[in-house]
Amino acid sequence: MNNLIILPIIIPIIAGLLMVIFKKSIKFQRILSIFAIVSTGAVAVILINQISKDGIQILHLGGWKAPFGVSMVADMFATILILVTSIVAVCCLLFAFQSIGEKREAYYFYPLFLFLITGVNGSFMTGDIFNLFVCFEVMLVSSYVLISLGGTKIQLRASIQYILINVISSFLFLVAIAFLYAMTGTLNFAHLAQRVAEVGQDGLLTTVAILLLIVFSLKAGLFLFYWLPGSYSAPPTAISAIFAALLTKVGIYAIIRTFYLIFYHEPQITHLLIGILAAITMVLGAIGAVAYGDINRILTYNVIVGVGFILAGVATLSVEGITGSLYYLIHDMIVKALIFLLGGTVIHLTGTSKLNEFSGLIRLHPQLGWMFFIAALSLSGIPPLSGFLGKVFITEGTFVTGYFWLGGIGLLTSLMVLYSIMKIFINGFWGYTVLTEETEKGTTKGLMLPIGILTALTIALGLGSEGIQTYVDLATQTLMNPEIYIRAVLGIK
Amino acid sequence: MPWLNMTIFIPFLFALLVPFIYKKFTPKIHTGWFVLVVPILIFIYLLTYIPAISNGKFIHSSLPWIPSYGINFTTYIDGLSLIFGLLITGIGTLVVLYSIFYLSKHREALNNFYVYLLLFMGAMLGLVFSDNVLVLYVFWELTSISSLLLIAYWYEREKSRYGAQKSMLITIFGGLAMLAGFIMLSIITDTYSIREMFTKVDSIVSHSLFLPAMLLVLLGAFTKSAQFPFSIWLPDAMEAPTPISAYLHSATMVKAGIYLVARMTPIFGGTAEWFWIVSGIGLITLLYGSVNAVRQTDLKALLAYSTISQLGLIMSLLGIGSAAMYFGIGDESEVYTVAILAAIFHLINHSTFKGCLFMVVGIIDHETGTRDIRKLGGLMNLMPVSFTLTIIGTFAMAGLPPFNGFLSKEMFLTAVLNVSQMSVFNMESLGSLFPIVAWIASIFTFVYSMILVFKTFRGKYRPERLEKKVHEAPIGMLLPPIVLASLVIGIFFFPNILSNYLLKPAVASILPSLAMGGEIYVKKISAWHGWNTELYMTIGIVVFGTLLYIYLRKWIRIYLFYPQSMTLNNMYNSGMEKSEDLFQSITNRYMTGSIRDYLVYIFAFIIFIIGGALWLLDGISFDHSQDASISVYEGGIVISMVISAVAVLLSNSRLTSIVAVGALGLLVSFLFVLFRAPDLALTQLVVETVTTALFLLCFYHLPQLRKEISKVRFKATNAIISIGVGVVVTIFALSVNGTKLFDSISSFYENSYELAGAQNIVNAILVDFRGIDTMLEILVLAIAGIGVYTLIKLRLSGGDENEGTK
Repeated sequence: MNNLIILPIIIPIIAGLLMVIFKKSIKFQRILSIFAIVSTGAVAVILINQISKDGIQILHLGGWKAPFGVSMVADMFATILILVTSIVAVCCLLFAFQSIGEKREAYYFYPLFLFLITGVNGSFMTGDIFNLFVCFEVMLVSSYVLISLGGTKIQLRASIQYILINVISSFLFLVAIAFLYAMTGTLNFAHLAQRVAEVGQDGLLTTVAILLLIVFSLKAGLFLFYWLPGSYSAPPTAISAIFAALLTKVGIYAIIRTFYLIFYHEPQITHLLIGILAAITMVLGAIGAVAYGDINRILTYNVIVGVGFILAGVATLSVEGITGSLYYLIHDMIVKALIFLLGGTVIHLTGTSKLNEFSGLIRLHPQLGWMFFIAALSLSGIPPLSGFLGKVFITEGTFVTGYFWLGGIGLLTSLMVLYSIMKIFINGFWGYTVLTEETEKGTTKGLMLPIGILTALTIALGLGSEGIQTYVDLATQTLMNPEIYIRAVLGIK
Repeated sequence: MPWLNMTIFIPFLFALLVPFIYKKFTPKIHTGWFVLVVPILIFIYLLTYIPAISNGKFIHSSLPWIPSYGINFTTYIDGLSLIFGLLITGIGTLVVLYSIFYLSKHREALNNFYVYLLLFMGAMLGLVFSDNVLVLYVFWELTSISSLLLIAYWYEREKSRYGAQKSMLITIFGGLAMLAGFIMLSIITDTYSIREMFTKVDSIVSHSLFLPAMLLVLLGAFTKSAQFPFSIWLPDAMEAPTPISAYLHSATMVKAGIYLVARMTPIFGGTAEWFWIVSGIGLITLLYGSVNAVRQTDLKALLAYSTISQLGLIMSLLGIGSAAMYFGIGDESEVYTVAILAAIFHLINHSTFKGCLFMVVGIIDHETGTRDIRKLGGLMNLMPVSFTLTIIGTFAMAGLPPFNGFLSKEMFLTAVLNVSQMSVFNMESLGSLFPIVAWIASIFTFVYSMILVFKTFRGKYRPERLEKKVHEAPIGMLLPPIVLASLVIGIFFFPNILSNYLLKPAVASILPSLAMGGEIYVKKISAWHGWNTELYMTIGIVVFGTLLYIYLRKWIRIYLFYPQSMTLNNMYNSGMEKSEDLFQSITNRYMTGSIRDYLVYIFAFIIFIIGGALWLLDGISFDHSQDASISVYEGGIVISMVISAVAVLLSNSRLTSIVAVGALGLLVSFLFVLFRAPDLALTQLVVETVTTALFLLCFYHLPQLRKEISKVRFKATNAIISIGVGVVVTIFALSVNGTKLFDSISSFYENSYELAGAQNIVNAILVDFRGIDTMLEILVLAIAGIGVYTLIKLRLSGGDENEGTK
């Protein structure tokens, strides 16, 4: 039992509620929000150290032992994600300070942001599938409000779609949980895993697993991503950046958790299906990214490609593949936030998202330009930046397991990703400078700090992969051996 | 840190300093003078390795990068990499010196230029000295990226950007293919080290991934070295400043593919596939490049095609030479070993004479303001030094004595003649093509070489077509090409010094299986072999070439017959354009923006996947033995529920719908009553009442419901989808209901009084056993409340666009 585990969930709740009370004091909200996120990050660091020393950390809430109560489980995989979430969230907050506007700040932007983080952290940490549903709800309801916060026309239109599709997926999730519970009689992940392993994963259980896959795919943007481009380009940059970095990742996390811990017995059905969906997702995403000359569209379709690529590694059910997916997941959270912040800054400066309406930004904004360049390379896994190792291992995983087509599509779409992002750089930053300091619509004041932090991170993670290797390997090891997780949660010696 | 690894980092580290140097000293001192130190020092440092390497030794050192995965920055100096290292730093020195005079310190952004240049230099050194394939790939991509930046150095020009993007797409595409090939090799051999792969050649050759790996690696090499049909990026790369064209796009970077092929020969060489692909593509490129060079009017474009052609020549030599591995140690392999020797020899020669030519063209451009052959002419008297340098460079290129190109060209002819006699790899039937293609390509090479010299320097001087007053370039600009030109001549007279110290070790490292104790036997290079076929071929080249040059005007029109739309370049352009259109129409087709369509996709997917899974995995099973019997009341309520649900669909007014929905809810609460769950029934009753009241309140403000008029197909799709989902989910639920695999954990909660002191089990679960769920659901309600509040209160102005756009 380790009480620290609840902190990443409870700190943002308490902080958020305090802010609701002190609605008027924006300064207080800013400081508290940063403080809350930094402290969840610090907790994650402590937990990571504890896990690498003593193994998986558990907290049975209310003292009710698994499988009867709700257990919070901090394994290396979940905890790393919590740490990365905190880092990305801090950067998005810093960006929001300068860009989100007084009105939104006064109307609960910060508490909503923290509630969103609560849901995300809870989803990573929970060891119970029904509690996962609840954490999803916290995350989703916060995102519904964030996406519509401000009530502009485009936001309202996007939020209708977003809410409708997510409500349907939540409903399906509930149906799936009910089916699963009817068959296995339990909700705890470890217990589910144990029971499914005991009876074997028959056709009906596999179908339930596929229903769960559909639910998580809707969240992750795997194949069922139609809601994503519209919703992610409607809200202000700080919000769409945090969405791009985190929301789809929660879906990916849930897929990995379910299909590595519980339903890994029929990979030729479930994991092959994930692989096929990943391939289609990558192709459609890349096609969409290349098709348009509009920053918002290019970026949102890139989110989709990233999802497909991570799940390509997941589909292999191999050490190489999942190692790659973990590296790429960490990378993708950072670099998606980065590229959205960069794209948002460009739009902020030029007042347009259409590439044929501006050019030559690099003359007045060399730092912004070069950071964009680095982010563009990083996004497509060009070495020695953070995406490289993940890309190599995912490709290796697909090759080792014979999914050559999957690995091939992954590499080809990474070229299309590079092309689509470099299109922004080549057309937007190069060429004749058309805007002067006077005709620009905004400034980069204060926006460069979060962008700089994330850029530094993508470089550092690329050059210093060795530094996180022990942790990622530990996470992989736990994922590849479900027994470790089951024993830890159920207290089997 | 080992010295050698350190050396490779020096350019990167220095690149970090460049912006500061630039800021401090511009415009007093040209930044290039500082940068010049870097290649000179590394060049001298590398020279010190020559004695050891020429004695057949190898030097290797390692620096851990990601040791846990076996990815280390291991460097390895052997004959092959040393030659490349010397070329990179040697030509690099000359190019930097040249650039000091070529690029104005007053007008140009020198900081960018030298940062990119140093980035490239470091990457290229890393590429040739790396032993680890992944590290090699890292540097490989870095060279592509620095090349991209250098091509777009004048980024305001549209053509620069176009050229940069094209080179990026093609070379990075190749890089990715190569990465895939490397990963396959590492899967086969379980190592990332090239040297270790050499020791496992047997298992590679017999592996099913042998051919895919080979093709992928070759794709990388061919794209980088501008082999047909990937050559199209190189002419557009000429938008880069001329020092860069001389350095990256003729002397070093484009030879990375050659390096890779040479480096991989010990693994793939000796097989028919390798032999045919490498030598075949090489020959095609040789011919393609030389034929296209003749019709160029821009001097740099001419040189670009010439480079393509010469790279093809070297490539084909490597292919031919790989046959030596098939024959193993013995006399038979010797003739093919000569081809490898010729490849390396010509590689060096090409770097010297082509580097020289590029620099001279840069001078002409610099002094006259144009590179257009049609505007130039008669510069001989005005620029005598440049003229002499051009003569040396072009004659070497055309393969004439007394210049180094003659020697390697003769060796090339020997190689193609020998290989046409080869009796393996199906060469009996096609072997004679080799010398024929080589000979024709050489004639064209001769023709464009003559065009380069005589159209520029002879003929009539037409100052009215030139922007500038023409005079000879400053000595600093002439010095680098003079150095190269003297090498061109020097190598002709003393080829065997080069051969003994550099070429032989390189051949030994390309063909390690033929080298005994690091030593390999190669013939002496000599200018005169007597009257043999090669010499007759050369005489033929000169005679036919001269004739073709003289009558150039008569036949040059033949090129016009070739349709423009069929050129590779146009195919690339229209391919890019069409694919963008295609991609747009694909995406627009399914991303309609209509929520109804998206729901159709989602539900259709559910029907298809879940229905399919149930069907195929034998998941459907109805077992009612455990079910309780259905009473009349229950049946009646369910039927009423169905009726009210259908009523919602059919009603034309909002009020009726609300009433029907309310009825549905009430009926559910009746079911709870029947199942003896009064508290649930009460809750449901309250919820239903409140929501119905709220709906009524809201809908009062909405306009009348209009009858939806839509096509039958539209409605039919909706109906099919919704019925389909209903059926699938119902079957699924019934099947699940009949398949209870375990007892539920719920029995644990039955003694909730003892466990939690609560008599009501539901309450105990809600607030104790699963208290966190309840707490978070309360939070959900709180957030939803905030949401409603903000929706009402906060209405920012904003139209259809994201508000970032103004």
